[in-house]
Amino acid sequence: MSTSLSYTLVITGAPWSSQAAQTSLAFARAVITAGHRLDRVFLYGDGVHLASALSAPPSDEPHWPQQWSEFLSEHQIPGIACIASALRRGLVDEREQARYELSAHNLRAPFQIAGLGEWVDSTLTSDRVLYFHGSA
Amino acid sequence: MSPALHPGTLHILNKAPGHSRFITCLANLTNQDTLVLTENAVLAASDADTKLPEGTVALGADIEARGLSDAMPVEKQIDHQQLVRLTEQYARIISW
Amino acid sequence: MTTLIVIDQAPYGTWVGREALDMAFSLAAFDQPAALLFIGAGVAWLRRAQNAAGIGQKTLEKNLSAAPLFGIEQLFAEQTACERFLPDPDSRVKGITMAGSVNHLLEQYDHVVFAG
Repeated sequence: MSTSLSYTLVITGAPWSSQAAQTSLAFARAVITAGHRLDRVFLYGDGVHLASALSAPPSDEPHWPQQWSEFLSEHQIPGIACIASALRRGLVDEREQARYELSAHNLRAPFQIAGLGEWVDSTLTSDRVLYFHGSA
Repeated sequence: MSPALHPGTLHILNKAPGHSRFITCLANLTNQDTLVLTENAVLAASDADTKLPEGTVALGADIEARGLSDAMPVEKQIDHQQLVRLTEQYARIISW
Repeated sequence: MTTLIVIDQAPYGTWVGREALDMAFSLAAFDQPAALLFIGAGVAWLRRAQNAAGIGQKTLEKNLSAAPLFGIEQLFAEQTACERFLPDPDSRVKGITMAGSVNHLLEQYDHVVFAG
């Protein structure tokens, strides 16, 4: 029986531009199955598109943002979208909508918006930090 | 007691052969390291121009998706559960 | 805990290098040791006299020159890539440490990170 470890997954590849969302979700499920803990999932760069509440793929295709958000909710894992990456790419929560006087907010629950400090914290506290980049 | 950690580095590579990061990754492997091919990198299994190190493994789902099951010995194909096990054994992991 | 952030993409064409720089600055802001390594086409970051006004971007050379001030410990560059893309040493910004062996450098750090 191996020791339980803590993991952080950093996703930098966007859904539908890369396989990052699928590969990371399959890995995340395997992490939980193995009895490890997922400290957080951090979306960076193009990876923030995974947190869009407005993704609407055809109904006969897998819905990666929805699958990810269901997984995070089920296991109560924090999903963080980097604020600088998110704002540039049009991903905002209610607070940022108000701050920048934008016409809408579109962050999919349970994702939250926070700074790179969350990632720094992961590098210090998680036993393993794995990155899921695009492959282009 | 936690099991002894592997002294080398686990390299997780998802770029296709020819990609600059694929080339850099392969050029910087040491004898102690283990290479895992994922996503587009599994094309290396049938690439005449790529010589993979001895212990290289690949995600079976990515191999299968690309019709490469015959190009990679079955014992070198791993699932996500086995990939997690590999990440348990290496403190140093580089995602290329 | 030491982190090496690797930049292997040329400046301006993508945002990945900027976001890599942000990661390094962020570590430094939390007093965590961070260094940058430029490899392949990424060494184009290190060329002097960049001016990105004409392409509607901020010039990255300035961001990079702030790195030591923000506490980035070292800037490394892959020697062979510099010989290829910046053969004239005078065309390179100051304060860069040449890395003859990338592999040797990677082994020195607990975390080796690409931003994308």
